[in-house]
Parts: sequence; C-alpha cells; structure tokens
Amino acid sequence: MLVALAVGLAAVSGSLSYFIPAAVIAYQASGQNVVVPTPSPTALLFTPTPTPPAPAQTGAFTVLLLGSDDDSKFQGDHVLTQSMILVRVIPQTKQVIMLSIPRDLWVPLSTGGSYKIDGAYSYGGAGAAIATVEQNFGVHVNYYIWVGLLGLIRVIDAIGGIDVVTSNPVLDDYYPLDINSSSLYGYQRIAVLGGPQHLDGVHALQYVRSRHNDLQSDFGRSRRQQQVLLAIRQKAKQLSPEDIPALAAAIGGEVKTNISLDQVGAMLPLAASFDNPDAIQQIVLASPYTHGGAPNGSLYGNWGLILPLVHKYYP
Amino acid sequence: MIARFLLGVFLAAVMLVVGVSSYLYLDARQSKVAVAPVKPTAAQPTPRAFHLPGTLYLSQSGALYSFSAGRFHQLTIEDGWMQPSLTPDGNLLVVHRQGFYSDVFELNPFGRPMRQLTNNVAPRRSYDTGDNHWSFYPRITSDGKTVFMSYDKPKTGYEVDMSIWSMPLTGSIARGQVWSDEAADPGYTGGDIQPVPVPGGIVYTRYDRNPDGSIIGQLWFTNRPGSFGKALTSPGEDCREPSLSPAGNYLAMICTHGKQISYLVIAPYSPGNLGPRQAVITDQMVAQPTWAPDGSGIAYLAPAIPDDPFQLFFLPSQAYFPPAPSPIPTPSVIPGGPKGTAVPSPSPSSAPAPPPVKPIQMTTSLGFDATSPIAWAP
Repeated sequence: MLVALAVGLAAVSGSLSYFIPAAVIAYQASGQNVVVPTPSPTALLFTPTPTPPAPAQTGAFTVLLLGSDDDSKFQGDHVLTQSMILVRVIPQTKQVIMLSIPRDLWVPLSTGGSYKIDGAYSYGGAGAAIATVEQNFGVHVNYYIWVGLLGLIRVIDAIGGIDVVTSNPVLDDYYPLDINSSSLYGYQRIAVLGGPQHLDGVHALQYVRSRHNDLQSDFGRSRRQQQVLLAIRQKAKQLSPEDIPALAAAIGGEVKTNISLDQVGAMLPLAASFDNPDAIQQIVLASPYTHGGAPNGSLYGNWGLILPLVHKYYP
Repeated sequence: MIARFLLGVFLAAVMLVVGVSSYLYLDARQSKVAVAPVKPTAAQPTPRAFHLPGTLYLSQSGALYSFSAGRFHQLTIEDGWMQPSLTPDGNLLVVHRQGFYSDVFELNPFGRPMRQLTNNVAPRRSYDTGDNHWSFYPRITSDGKTVFMSYDKPKTGYEVDMSIWSMPLTGSIARGQVWSDEAADPGYTGGDIQPVPVPGGIVYTRYDRNPDGSIIGQLWFTNRPGSFGKALTSPGEDCREPSLSPAGNYLAMICTHGKQISYLVIAPYSPGNLGPRQAVITDQMVAQPTWAPDGSGIAYLAPAIPDDPFQLFFLPSQAYFPPAPSPIPTPSVIPGGPKGTAVPSPSPSSAPAPPPVKPIQMTTSLGFDATSPIAWAP
C-alpha cells in the first residue's frame, strides 16, 4: 500500500515537473486582461456604425490576430501591428473566415484622432487595437492573440517547419535586418523561390513579411500571411500533448492572448476538426474596398463596400 | 529501526526512479515533428531497395548529393549549393547561393568547381544591397554552348523581378541576352523562372498577376530573345516547374490551381503546343518532376507525411502510360458437340484490371530542397 502510494506520488511529481514550466509560461501568455477603452468623442464622429452587442452564445467566436515587429527598435509594448487578421470561427458548420485588415488603413483610433490602423496597438495596447477594429468594422471581437516576429519564427521551428506552395518568388533588396542583428536599421536581400517547399521559421517570416515586392501595398503580403497561418494550423494537427512544454518554451514572451488556459484546451480539439480547406474563406481588402490618397501614403476604406462584406461574415 | 530506515531508503529510491522515469516517458512521447532531417549519406540504404537507373543529383541544406545504386555521396559542403543541371559532357551547372547574391558555377561530376560563370556580388565599395544580383536555375542547351538562367537584371526601384537570360558557356553575362524582359512588364510578381531548353526555344515559368491581384504561374514558350512568347497553360491552372521528357514529346509540370495543393501533371508536347493534361499525382504536395533518362518513370520530391520535409519519390511510367490491354479472345466454336452441333467456347472473361501503379518512396527522414530541380544522368 505504502509502496503503491509512493509510486503514484512519484509518477504525478514527474509528470508535473514535465508540464509545470509550460503551464507557467502559458499562464503568463494567456488570460491577459484587456481594457477596451471607451471611444473618444472624436472617434465616435467617424465611427461608421455603432458597435453591436456581443452575439449570443452560439459557439461561434471572433479572434483578432495581431503580428508585430517587436525588436529593440521599439520600446516596451509600443509596437505597430504589421499584421491584423480578423478570424471568425463557426464550429457548427466548421467554417473559418479570415479577413486581413490592411495595416495602412486610415481610420479613427479608439484612443482619439485618426491614424493608420497599425498604430492602435502602439497607442493603447491590445485593448485599443480591439476597440478600433470593433468601432470601425462594426464587429465584436471575443479574443485576441498577439505574436512577435521571433514568436512566429520559434513557433514554426518548434513544429518542425511548414509546407507551403509559395505563390510566386518573393524577392526583396531591402528587407529589414532586425532579427538577431546589431544593425537594426540595416537591410538584407532575400529570395524565397516559388512553388511547393518546406519552410523553416526564418524563411516563412521572410515570405510573409516582405512588402517591397508588392505592387499593391501589403495585399499580397496579407495573402501570404493567410497561407502560412493555414499551414501552421495544418501542421499543428500532428502535435501531441507531450509537445506542449517544448512549444511553450519556444514561444515564451513572444505570444500574448486574452484566451484563458481552459479555453485554449477547449479550442484544441475544435482546431483539429476543421479538415475541409474549402470551408476556409480568405478575404483581402484590396481595391475596390480600399484606395490610396490618404495621409502618409495610407489607404482610405470604401466603407460602403467594406461594411456589408464584413457583416455578411461577422454578425 | 533499521528495517524502517531501509524501507524509507527503498521508497525514496523507488520514488526517484518512478519520478524520473515518468518525466523521461513523457519526454519520449513527444511527436517527431521537430526532428531535423538526417544527412543523405547517413541514411542507411535498404538492402533490397528499389534502385533507380543512372545517377541523380539533388540538394539538401546547401549541399549537393549524387544518388546512384541506392547510395548517396556528398559532392559539396553545406554552403548554398543548389539547383544542379547536367551539361552534355557530364558536368554540372549549379547555383552557389550566398547571403545577398548567387552565382552559377560549372562543377565536375565529383563536385569540384571547374568554372565560375557569373560574378553577382556587389562592388566592394557599394553600400547598396541592391547592387547584388541573383542567378537561379541554370540550364544548358543540348549543343553545350548556351546557358539559360533566371537573372534579376534590370531592376527598377524596389521591384526585383527575374528575367530569362542566355549567355555563352565560355563567355560572361556581359555577352548575355535578355529573352523575357520583366522590366518591360512591371508587376512585382517575381518574374520569369526556371528556363528549360527545348527544340526550337525554351519553356519557362512566368509569374503574372490575376485581375483580383493574386499571382499565378504559367508555362510559356519562346523562341527568340526579347519576346515573352506564347502561353502554354492557362492562368487558372497555375503551373510551374516544367520538365521535358527524354523523347521531347511530353512535358511534366506542377499545377496548383491557385491553392495550397500541387498536382503532378503531364501533357503531350510539340514545339510551342501543349496537349491534353493528365494529372498523375493528386494526393501529395509534389515538386520538381524529372523524367528518367531511359523513360522508365518520373522522379519528384514530396513530403511522405503532410507538412514534413521533402523526400525523393519515383513514379514508374506504367502509372501514366499503362500497357495496352491484351487482346480479348474472339469467341470460337469448338466442333464436336452433341448431334454434331458446335460447342460454344466459354465466354471470354474480361481481363482482370492491372493493379494501380503507385509511386515508390525512395528516401525517409531526409529533407531535400524542393526549390532545387533534380538532375538525372544516364
């Protein structure tokens, strides 16, 4: 009896020591408190539609994915969100809708004044980014996930890379040299060749981050970001619970979310059940939804077209 | 007292062993997704492995390998060597890629550099990264005189698109000619890639923009410098990576239809024309199809498990050129039946359908560069 108890206790202790570091990292990354600021009077003036109340609990939910440069060019949490993707997950029909918001979209920010939408996070953190998206697009955001550049590299390397059909060669003579470099404002040349291939974290980041090879601002980049996100989701199906500590160690500090640990646990089986690629709708707000001419080379939104499109998929 | 002490020591030892064992057990149960590919030369050949004819040249992690008689031999160190192709005299044209530029070299079959064909590094005094150049996908004509490649010149501002260039094997790029000039067609698409010399011209992949802004690949044929030539595939097919059969009458290619899939497609080819398409692999992410020199099949790269690194596969020709069915016997009349009537022979049973020919996986646990074509010598 005593021996059995000791064996049981030891087994539990061994298991806990295996998972506890991951739990600590996950706890630090998840369950972030988000303060969604009250819209300023200025912002309200420009708000196309009022923010709807949170939808009834139908099981469907909306996640705002934020990706940022977070190297030492930036101080603390004052980073721009170079990637903003609004993801709607509908478990009942196993549908996913991914809407890429152009980083250069000129909008009234929730913190006041108008600016490119990528500045919302810089001025007020995740809460301001969420509020700005909610106010301008008339949607309710349930969750957010923020990932830094190194976080994306580490996630992809931790899952052993991803297979992607790169739609075209991505060639850039002036790609930022700001990862693992002392020359934060320097440039490097990159060439991610076209076609089916296995990408590690660094090359996947180059593929999704380069914008100098794009005729239409960052719309091509948005498409590539969606391709890589779907490839990560596909590869994640091969993971087992025992992989969590290594993954958590890899992404520690590079991921923030307001999704709690128990919610993450509930979503994992859900993610694995989305098997039909045709049930994944990808939307990029290129012309005629947006057009140039806004300050600082940014884009004006054609809200008369954007809002009906958004409300079709994001009730 | 001593017994209790011994029991305590025993229990402590048991707890230590069980605790450590459970930790190690969980650690061992991690999936193998992040395990790095092994070097081809470290892979153990299977004694009864299916052997491919001739010698294949492939690239992994910046090193070139030859593969013959079921064994790999490393030809270069891991230093950016990629995209091998054969010269008529059995040497290799390869790309040597460094951080900011890449150059074309001629190597002998054992990996020793014979000649540097391009010099794409920026001048020493230049601080502009854009003064460097890329050369990719070198191929030589059957007469061994002219080298075709993708080359990122000329450039305009931020736009870096590849154009198809030709140059003499024994000359320099200064004596080269632009065949498809992407600078004349701005598009930020990546440009024109992977020229394949064919009788009367070249077939290459041209990346172009759809009306919705997405970028697709198309195979084109051109027979003179300064001309994009003629499209062989439609935009909707989204094809790339052409490979000409040894007899010159078929093209193999990869078509993705604008999605995250890739089909291995073959089609009859005559100069400047492509016949009906036949998708021969549709359930793998296929890359770089290459015909066997003896026509016995097509080698290609694909992950053995979805999302894994790319392995070498071989598709026997029976999979896409099935042998003609044996003639169905004509019913005959056998004399000698009752009352002199003829006895009908048994109705001929339909010939059993041959089992489907499947691809043969040649390697496991490796990680070939899927942007690097395979060269296959007889």
